[in-house]
Amino acid sequence: MNILFYLAAVVAVVAAVMVITRLNAVHALLYMIVSLLALALVFYTLGAPFVAALEIIIYAGAIMVLFVFVVMMLNLGEAATAQELIWLNPHAWRGPALLALVLVALLVYTLGGNGRFLPATIISPKQVSLTLFGPYLLGVELASFLLLAGLVGAHHLGKRDG
Amino acid sequence: MAEIPMEHGLIVAGLLFATGMVGVIVRRNIFFILLSIEMMLNAAGLAFVVAGARWAQADGQVMFIFILAMAAAEVSVGLALVLQLYNRFKTVDVDAASEMRG
Amino acid sequence: MVLTPLWVLAGSVVVVMLVAAFVQRERITAVLTLIGLTAALITLPLVQPYLPHQVTPLLVMDEYALFYLGLLLAAAFIIVVQGYSYWRRWDGDAHAFYILLLLAVLGTAVLVTSSHFASFFLGLEILSVALYTLIAYSQSPRKRVEAGLKYLILAGTTAAFLLFGMALIYAELGTMSLIGIAERITAVSSNLLFMTGVGLLLVGIAFKLALVPFHLWTPDVYQGAPAPVTAFIATVSKGAMFVLLLRYFGTWGLLQNGQVDNTLTFIAVASILGGNLLAVQQQNIKRLLAYSSIAHLGYLLIPLIAFNAMTTSAVAFYLVVYFLTTLCAFGVISLLSRPTAEQEELSAYQGLFWQRPYLALIFMVALLSLAGLPPLAGLMGKVYLASAGLTSQLWLLLLVLVLGSVIGVFYYLRVIVVMVQRTESEEKTAVSGLQTPGGILLIVMAFLLVFLGVYPNPLIQLITVIFAS
Repeated sequence: MNILFYLAAVVAVVAAVMVITRLNAVHALLYMIVSLLALALVFYTLGAPFVAALEIIIYAGAIMVLFVFVVMMLNLGEAATAQELIWLNPHAWRGPALLALVLVALLVYTLGGNGRFLPATIISPKQVSLTLFGPYLLGVELASFLLLAGLVGAHHLGKRDG
Repeated sequence: MAEIPMEHGLIVAGLLFATGMVGVIVRRNIFFILLSIEMMLNAAGLAFVVAGARWAQADGQVMFIFILAMAAAEVSVGLALVLQLYNRFKTVDVDAASEMRG
Repeated sequence: MVLTPLWVLAGSVVVVMLVAAFVQRERITAVLTLIGLTAALITLPLVQPYLPHQVTPLLVMDEYALFYLGLLLAAAFIIVVQGYSYWRRWDGDAHAFYILLLLAVLGTAVLVTSSHFASFFLGLEILSVALYTLIAYSQSPRKRVEAGLKYLILAGTTAAFLLFGMALIYAELGTMSLIGIAERITAVSSNLLFMTGVGLLLVGIAFKLALVPFHLWTPDVYQGAPAPVTAFIATVSKGAMFVLLLRYFGTWGLLQNGQVDNTLTFIAVASILGGNLLAVQQQNIKRLLAYSSIAHLGYLLIPLIAFNAMTTSAVAFYLVVYFLTTLCAFGVISLLSRPTAEQEELSAYQGLFWQRPYLALIFMVALLSLAGLPPLAGLMGKVYLASAGLTSQLWLLLLVLVLGSVIGVFYYLRVIVVMVQRTESEEKTAVSGLQTPGGILLIVMAFLLVFLGVYPNPLIQLITVIFAS
């Protein structure tokens, strides 16, 4: 099970790096979905089967599909890929990559090596539901208003003109 | 389930977060920027699940569910805005569509 | 039940939405929105006897939240009235404006009553998602869409930072509730993971407050958004976030921590000087006001860093005055603008005093108050901030406060000079005058600015009475 965690984590990170370095938007989206699936496996190994399922159903299954729809709709084609080739020369990557490495190094330092191990317990969907509809009940209500804001907004912005 | 140090879980989250951040900074195509933001949010979600697993509480997963709701709402509005951007500026390049002085 | 104001607000979102779907008349939608806001305001004194009360670990209703809820609801009321005249000059559909505005106010209401990371995050995101559409509302001129996208990208990124910080704090302490965290912090400075989490949290908060160096979005978004929405971002959105910052950092004892104080001092100095200096060269009124608001949030950080007995009342007084001034200034701009052609260039205000004298006078009052010149309320506010700083001997900040104010006088006065210049340009395009409800509110606000400048006692008394518990 430990090996599974590390394998899935490596796949997730490698796929993530591929996402940001692709020239073609659809390729990037597909790598993103791979990364999300790998993350779902990571969640499973961490004893969180419920969010593993949610990650696949909602993140990969709804949000990424929305992305794919819009990318296909705009149908930018070869011209866009060629344009990306011009923008993404190695020079552009150096600064941000350095910054990212510094930040990750800082994070590793901050965490220290105390070796706080995760207790090998599974938190079942039942426990999550009890917590969600227990202390976090107001959170559920607020989340519904959050989605309402997205709904009204997307409806308004999706109109043809004005 | 796996018995791994919490640090390793958080480092994976950190790597994903940093990757997303690099994507937001470097890429000029709005799709890639939005995708990178999603990656950062996902990384934060992973951090929450790891934290919840450490304390054997469901709270981490509950926060992940809320992050999911937020990502969905933001992506819907964001993609609608991208369509408007394309209609009015005829490009998906954020630098070209930046007319107001920074 | 003690959360009634929020329930009323949420209920009015649903009611307005349903009515707007069937009855396609903007006047009815606007009136219903105002009724909802007023109803929420009325319930505030009704819940007062039951305070303070914690409702689930997520939200807490206390006098502190009550005061600011009142302020936010009143500001939203004024913005809706101004917005109605503004959107009437447009042939598009403005129903979603009212629904989204109510949702945004709900988000800010959750922020000021938040006592847990979950409600902090959810309130923030309800506000943000509503704002994405509000900023891009009329979609043309196309700078609206540009502003909306810029805001979305930055808000999404900083939300991720905020979340990661929250996750780190949770990983370290095992709880996400405000009080729970306060109980479990021991030897804060040496707890590296906690401080890193706090730092990341500060990134998210500083973005919403438009503090340097997270301010880059502010001028573009202020310029690109419709004037009433800009008014909302400058007042309600910032105010709610600042209130949360004070509550959270105050409860955790972070404001007495050396590292945090130093960071906040650096941000405050950078914001005051940066905001004022960058405003000097601006030819666009909305961008000028954007940089000015950056500086004002910098001023507001002073009582926070001081964190003494005067902090709560100084912040409350200054926020009320800041709200009044900003709503006045953007109210004038809204009155003169239409959604497809905003009056935002400085040159458009040339000679305003000779064509619309009363409007120009109101604008002058607002600008002079922002500058902090007597006998206006702005000066009283700054004096209050300065005394909080004096009590804690924050010499550097006080020096910067004075310096910033001096620089500020320059560009505020420049606008006034432009307004008084004689010009042969054509009469300002026909827009609403001061006889509209929006105009009347402007007159009342300007009057209050002068009144509070000369006689601030009523407001100080009100603040003391409400915060006495």
